[in-house]
Amino acid sequence: MEKAIKKYFPLFALPTMIAFTIGFIVPFLYGIFLSFCKFTTVVDWKWVGIENYTKIFFVDGKLDTSFLHSIWYTALFTVVSVLVINVVSFIIAMALTKGIKGTNLFRTVFFLPNLIGGIVLSYVWLMIFNAVLQNFSKTIVSSQWSAFWGLVIVVCWQQIGYMMIIYIAGIQNIPGELIEAAKIDGANAWQLLKSVTLPMLMPTITICSFLTLTNGFKLFDQNLALTGGNPGKMSQLLALNIYDTMYGTTGWQGIGQAKAVIFFILVAIIAVAQNKLTTRKEVQG
Amino acid sequence: MKKKLVSVLLVSAMAASMLVGCGGDAGSSNNGTQAAGSGNEGGSAEAGSGSVYLLNFKPETDGAWQTLAQTYTEQTGVEVNVVTAADGQYKTTLQAELAKDEAPTIYNIGNAADCAEYADYIYDLKDSAIYEHLTDKSLAVEYEGKVAAVANCYECYGIIYNKSILEQYCTVDGAVISSVDEINNLDTLNAVATDINNRVDEINAALGTNLTEAFASAGLDSGSNWRFSGHLAGIALYYEFKDAGCDLVAGQGTVTGKYLDNFKKVWDMYVGTSAADPATLDSGAYSAQQEIGLGEAVFYQNGDWEYSAFAPGNENGYTVTTDDLSMMPIYFGVDDATEGLAVGTENHWAVNAKASQEDIDATLAFLEWVITSDEGRASITNEMGLTAPFDTFTGDYASNNGFAAMANEYAAQGKTSVAWSFNATPAVDDWRADFIAPLTEYTERGGSWDDVVTAFVDQWAYYWDQQNNQ
Repeated sequence: MEKAIKKYFPLFALPTMIAFTIGFIVPFLYGIFLSFCKFTTVVDWKWVGIENYTKIFFVDGKLDTSFLHSIWYTALFTVVSVLVINVVSFIIAMALTKGIKGTNLFRTVFFLPNLIGGIVLSYVWLMIFNAVLQNFSKTIVSSQWSAFWGLVIVVCWQQIGYMMIIYIAGIQNIPGELIEAAKIDGANAWQLLKSVTLPMLMPTITICSFLTLTNGFKLFDQNLALTGGNPGKMSQLLALNIYDTMYGTTGWQGIGQAKAVIFFILVAIIAVAQNKLTTRKEVQG
Repeated sequence: MKKKLVSVLLVSAMAASMLVGCGGDAGSSNNGTQAAGSGNEGGSAEAGSGSVYLLNFKPETDGAWQTLAQTYTEQTGVEVNVVTAADGQYKTTLQAELAKDEAPTIYNIGNAADCAEYADYIYDLKDSAIYEHLTDKSLAVEYEGKVAAVANCYECYGIIYNKSILEQYCTVDGAVISSVDEINNLDTLNAVATDINNRVDEINAALGTNLTEAFASAGLDSGSNWRFSGHLAGIALYYEFKDAGCDLVAGQGTVTGKYLDNFKKVWDMYVGTSAADPATLDSGAYSAQQEIGLGEAVFYQNGDWEYSAFAPGNENGYTVTTDDLSMMPIYFGVDDATEGLAVGTENHWAVNAKASQEDIDATLAFLEWVITSDEGRASITNEMGLTAPFDTFTGDYASNNGFAAMANEYAAQGKTSVAWSFNATPAVDDWRADFIAPLTEYTERGGSWDDVVTAFVDQWAYYWDQQNNQ
């Protein structure tokens, strides 16, 4: 049986590999290639070398900070949303594994926001925010910081439920005897959490922080629908900035593509680093 | 045994997903042909003629185009696909579609800047029937000696006003004017709007109206701010270009913001005589059209495309109808005595030069049919509600858009129609965004007007430079 699997492995993997090549590898390589070209449509390109990359930061010899602004704005947004989402969803998951009444109902309710698409969700929240802020003669895009916190709230509301489900699965996987043994040894609630639950949960934390981290960096729908990058372009996260360059600026498709390549490298580095960091802390159960 | 079963299941699942993938692909490539109907595919191939693919710019006309395409296919056997890009997604869709093997043969060009971007895809329409029938040749976009695109409709914008309420207002005690005709300059308009807005309750009591404001809300959200960054700014650009003596629609590389003081006057009037809280104009919570439709506002800056929203048979539930409404020029305090409505278009048909010759021929034949046949003309005038700039649209096919008629009326009175100078805007979306940002600051948070002027002037030169030096 083992042998057979080995023998037929390429055959079994073939359909997936073909799909992966067509759907990912080819467009990806083509995308990198296009970032060195000037193009209007993707079949009609002219090689320009690294000009696109320099134009991201320097236009007509002047420093253009809009991309840098969205990099740090995105980074800050990601840090805040990763922290809030993981901490809150972990707390809720702990509460909902204690066997309190109505656990299933709560789990369902907390998970529900995740079933609504980002655009719809953001439009609903936009109405809520603006209805409330109207009383203070403000809107959600009155400043880049109100836009920032608006995004944080919407994204947390959407993702906490999802991460909660993953945490619940993780918590339920911790063997009861471990906890029982710790209790017999006289561990109090805090020690139990710090020395048993959290170490046992490290694989889950890896997954959740990875998901929230990449989601934070790649956030697009909510940004587009909730703030549209306003005021000015101050609340543009990276993905929206790239989209705006690609389609909003005439003749800048190549620069948008170059930004996208930088974006990919950035997200890849951070995700790998994060994965390494949290995986190291995992213990074998 | 069990393991084998699992692997069989996995393989079949994989195969199924592949098949689904392929199926989806076929489906999406068929999407475009939905109008033509697959039954005709064979027929058209036999006839040896090319096919037509129209990437439609105006979402509201999609239904009419689909029907028209079907009619044409039934009559001639030539396959016509009509695909409509979602609102605000035209550029995205066009770039994607042009890259395909079956690229659009007809697409929309907005202005000369678009031509520069799609230079490789521009077919010279000099000898085409649509150019021949075009009444005003200035409505074609010329680029590098070619007739790059031909207008398929022209539109006008100005200040839509509620004539009925305004006429009644003239009878109210202390009214600033005694006849609507007296509003023929910015100062009078401003005085009327201010008076109505200040005495809204008094006027309601006297006339039995339910006004809340004079001007409908000047929303600064993306769904409405183009009315100001595009159309209102266009008037300032128009006067500036006129002074400079350059082409009024093609514009020039530098602007000075000479008439921005006038813009400010008009803008302050819009904001100051409206019930909307100036600090929340970008919330997107306002619907200016609804305010005018429900008789809450008297004035509303917009174009003749709004006509159908108030026309009989609309489903908006508005109490105000087209009979109550009329349109006046956006008096700008520059040359009010001779200023007419702003007439122009952003809708031009361009033909894809990279399509095969057969397809181009089929496309030109289709376009000719659209503007000369009874079906085509009826559809454009009645169903799409457009005002077509072709000499074939006479008699029954003349536009029945009341606002468009006002444009002609002003012209007949000897007033000069304002050209759509904002068509010259370089990197349109970017420039408008950069202009709206300080305008929002100014309006909502007491920002400096100088920033607005700076953005207007500097960003224009900046984007113009970028666009033309690539």
